[in-house]
Amino acid sequence: MRKSLLLISMMLVLATLMIGCATTGDLEKVQAQQKQIDAKADQALRDAQAAKTAADAARVKADETSVRAESAMKAAAEEREKAAAEREKAVAEREKAAAEKEKMADEKAKKAGAAFEKSMKK
Amino acid sequence: MKRVQETAESFPSHHEKEIERNKFPVARGEDVIGRLAVIRLEKGDTLPDIARHFSLGINAISAANPGVDVWVPEAGERIMLPLSFILPDTPRKGIVVNLATMRLFQYKEDGTSLLVSTYPIGVGTNERPTPTGRMHVARKAVRPTWRVPASIAEDHRKKGDNLPAEVPPGPENPLGEYALYLSKTGYLIHGTNKPASIGLTATNGCLRLYPENVKTLFDDTPVKTPVLIVNQPYLIGQRNGVLYLEAHAPTEQSDALELEKLYKKLRTIEKKARRTLDWKKVKEAQAEARGIPVPIFELSQGSGKEAAKPIEVGHPETLYGKPEIPALKLEAWYVLAADVRDKIEAQRIAAIINHQGPPIPARVFPKSDSYRVIAGPFNDGSEAKKAAKRLKIDLEIDGVVIEPVKIN
Repeated sequence: MRKSLLLISMMLVLATLMIGCATTGDLEKVQAQQKQIDAKADQALRDAQAAKTAADAARVKADETSVRAESAMKAAAEEREKAAAEREKAVAEREKAAAEKEKMADEKAKKAGAAFEKSMKK
Repeated sequence: MKRVQETAESFPSHHEKEIERNKFPVARGEDVIGRLAVIRLEKGDTLPDIARHFSLGINAISAANPGVDVWVPEAGERIMLPLSFILPDTPRKGIVVNLATMRLFQYKEDGTSLLVSTYPIGVGTNERPTPTGRMHVARKAVRPTWRVPASIAEDHRKKGDNLPAEVPPGPENPLGEYALYLSKTGYLIHGTNKPASIGLTATNGCLRLYPENVKTLFDDTPVKTPVLIVNQPYLIGQRNGVLYLEAHAPTEQSDALELEKLYKKLRTIEKKARRTLDWKKVKEAQAEARGIPVPIFELSQGSGKEAAKPIEVGHPETLYGKPEIPALKLEAWYVLAADVRDKIEAQRIAAIINHQGPPIPARVFPKSDSYRVIAGPFNDGSEAKKAAKRLKIDLEIDGVVIEPVKIN
């Protein structure tokens, strides 16, 4: 019985010793790993920050571009509308002028006809 | 014009060189004489020239061809010659004048058949209208002297044109070469020195004919021939089992009454035939007032009889009575009548001047940016000044007299 107890105690002590050794080594290893990861995280953070900054900058730039594009498009549309309106106005003016010309020609023809009829009296 | 072209082109090609224009047999029980025709215009034609050649008035050719320029029509254009007429609703005896259609009809018995000669006329104005009613030819005169009525002398004086008390026979005489004096004092059937006025309301109540027509009428008409003057703008008549309507532009005063008469006649025909008339067609013909007989009703249904179709007439080499323009001469005098930018306007002015009576020759001179209308040639300065005065009085044109070109 005593032998058994001794054996058990020895095994416990050994186990305890073994556990203690593993923990110290592992801790250092983990700590090293943590440092590396931290460094990586820092780097990633920096990268992310940089990316964000870049994205923000890009977004700002894009926004600005978009605003400029919109503005340009609006201006172009306005130009087109203006040009179309001018064309329409020119067409209307041409039509009006043609109608006027036709009206004047008709009036001249009528006037000439009336003068002719008058001239045919005794 | 489109209508005329459509109508003309839908017909089988039937081309004739000549067409009867004045003398027609009148079949018993029928009221429509003559045939409609179509002619293709050539460069330089005017409607008054075509009208005179085919013995039509300017009113008739204009109404039949709405939209066609009277003075400058397009070469190649096809126009209708309204050479079919519905006889007026009167006894067929002696001379019958229809003021609304501006046509005179002279009936002659030829054995058992009846012949009618018809001529276009010029009639009185609204201010001095031709009287309607029964009268007769009281006397006739060759180369009549025109005794100028006081009212006409006054009208001319106001325009700065002092007329003599009498105008002897000759080119200045508006009665032309022949006159038939009517029993209604002051009214005559006579020729004219203004042939382009036939088909116009331009007289002081007299009836004018083309010079070539008045000669024939004069020769064929004995003194005491009855003359009946009517005003019938809406004529209906039948030929070959088809009922026709010929509508002319009515005068304001006569429209309602004449329309009422027309509708009454048509309702009677409808009742007798026991069939409904195409009233839409009637109203269209009445509204268009083209002065040509339009088929509106088949009197005996299913007879297969058809309205007569127009024929195409060839363009004559020369148009009878077309004003001639003498060749230019450097040593002659001219009158600058107009300087305009529009070619058609210039051509119209020249054509109107050419058709004055007596005629004044005129032509168009194209410039770099305008068109000049030059009247002449005139033999001397006084002739040119006289022409310029006529242009001013008759057409309100301020002409500029051009002296001859000095040849070294």
